[in-house]
Amino acid sequence: MSSIVIAGDTSGSVTLQAPAVSGSTTITLPATSGTLLQSGTTVTEAQGGIGTTVGYNGFKNRIINGDMRIDQRNAGASYNQVNGQYSLDRWAGNSFDGGAATNKFSVIQSSTAPTGFSNSLLVTSLAATSSGASNIFNIEQKIEGFNFADFLYGTASAQTLTLSFWVRSSLTGTFGGALKNSARNRAYPFTYTISAANTFEQKTITITGDTSGTWVGSTNGTGLWISFGLGVGSTYSGTAGAWGGGDVFSATGATSVVGTNGATWYISGVQLEKGSTATSFDVRDYGRELALCQRYYFSYLVPATCPQGFGHMQSTTAARILFPNPVPMRATPTFTSLGSLGIASGGTSFIASASSVLGISSAGVQMQFDVSGATAHQTCVYRDSGGTTFSAEL
Amino acid sequence: MYKLCPQSDGQTKSVKRLVDNAYIPFDPANTDYQEYLKWLAEGNTPEPAEGT
Repeated sequence: MSSIVIAGDTSGSVTLQAPAVSGSTTITLPATSGTLLQSGTTVTEAQGGIGTTVGYNGFKNRIINGDMRIDQRNAGASYNQVNGQYSLDRWAGNSFDGGAATNKFSVIQSSTAPTGFSNSLLVTSLAATSSGASNIFNIEQKIEGFNFADFLYGTASAQTLTLSFWVRSSLTGTFGGALKNSARNRAYPFTYTISAANTFEQKTITITGDTSGTWVGSTNGTGLWISFGLGVGSTYSGTAGAWGGGDVFSATGATSVVGTNGATWYISGVQLEKGSTATSFDVRDYGRELALCQRYYFSYLVPATCPQGFGHMQSTTAARILFPNPVPMRATPTFTSLGSLGIASGGTSFIASASSVLGISSAGVQMQFDVSGATAHQTCVYRDSGGTTFSAEL
Repeated sequence: MYKLCPQSDGQTKSVKRLVDNAYIPFDPANTDYQEYLKWLAEGNTPEPAEGT
């Protein structure tokens, strides 16, 4: 280039200000046309930026297992939703028609997924469930308070958030969901539209932060509750697009998936982030995603002959066992034996007559099992023919 | 339905949920325990421990 042209505009002026230092400074302009970055401007992800003015330093996506890769409980097997129970890791569902309803829809980790993802959560309606005011059929995730407190909900500084996800259904129309607090008295119903049947579509919903209500803050309680409605009655539905009171799981008038026998609904790439822009999905390494899930649930599904816990005989009648956990759990977990549990010590097997979960530590879950005729202070091991699970879900 | 699980030392720190034989600790942050408290508040009573 042999010349520099400085063009003026209709008014105002441009000042090239030299720095207040001695010496020479050279600024090299880019070789292609464009606009120089301005302070405070969003640098798009295509430009190598983060696509938002929110200053992220990790953990952009507050949803855990948003890409549906982790399925500790069912390992890819189909699960008929039980009211209030979990299917894929961190994803629970309700099947409620005034009371717990069974065999209304199934959930499975599917390999049918949007481009760039390996899995989705697939819901299949198992009946043509009639609509009822008290119906709550949904898929939901509760975000722990520690992972949401910086959104400052319930204060004047409440942050705008953006929820994005890929969804596909055999049905078309307007579908619904809701965000709400732990106390179930503040909610934001939302809608999204599926235009083409059996085609993944990405949806983005930006929601202004709630400055009202009681939110749990930085605790291990439920910081934010996200519900995707599959058939929610009028009692638990609200008008979309605004924060309000009430215990809401979806938006008024939303399409019912469970209302059509055989209807399907897939979801994946669920991301909830700060700011008003849906940025690219925050892909975390598998080990970290699994560890995030194991704060809420983990299982020992090991060969029956392999010990799962270790300890000592506290007395002749009590065995104290420590179960090492992958990561510290959210709360003292519920313990479930999936087979026949036993304690072995000093060449003798004992049948436990009672069990108590004593507590948690960074080392693991501590339990006590009542036995009889043991020798105090001998070491012992715990094993279970079917495995054991620990749950500290929200 | 639930069953109480007193330990040999006489203390009760867990309750057994009979539908899946899960042992639920008395931790206010445990949601299964919260469900148990709700069940109690509805006027229900857990089964006594075996041998009592």
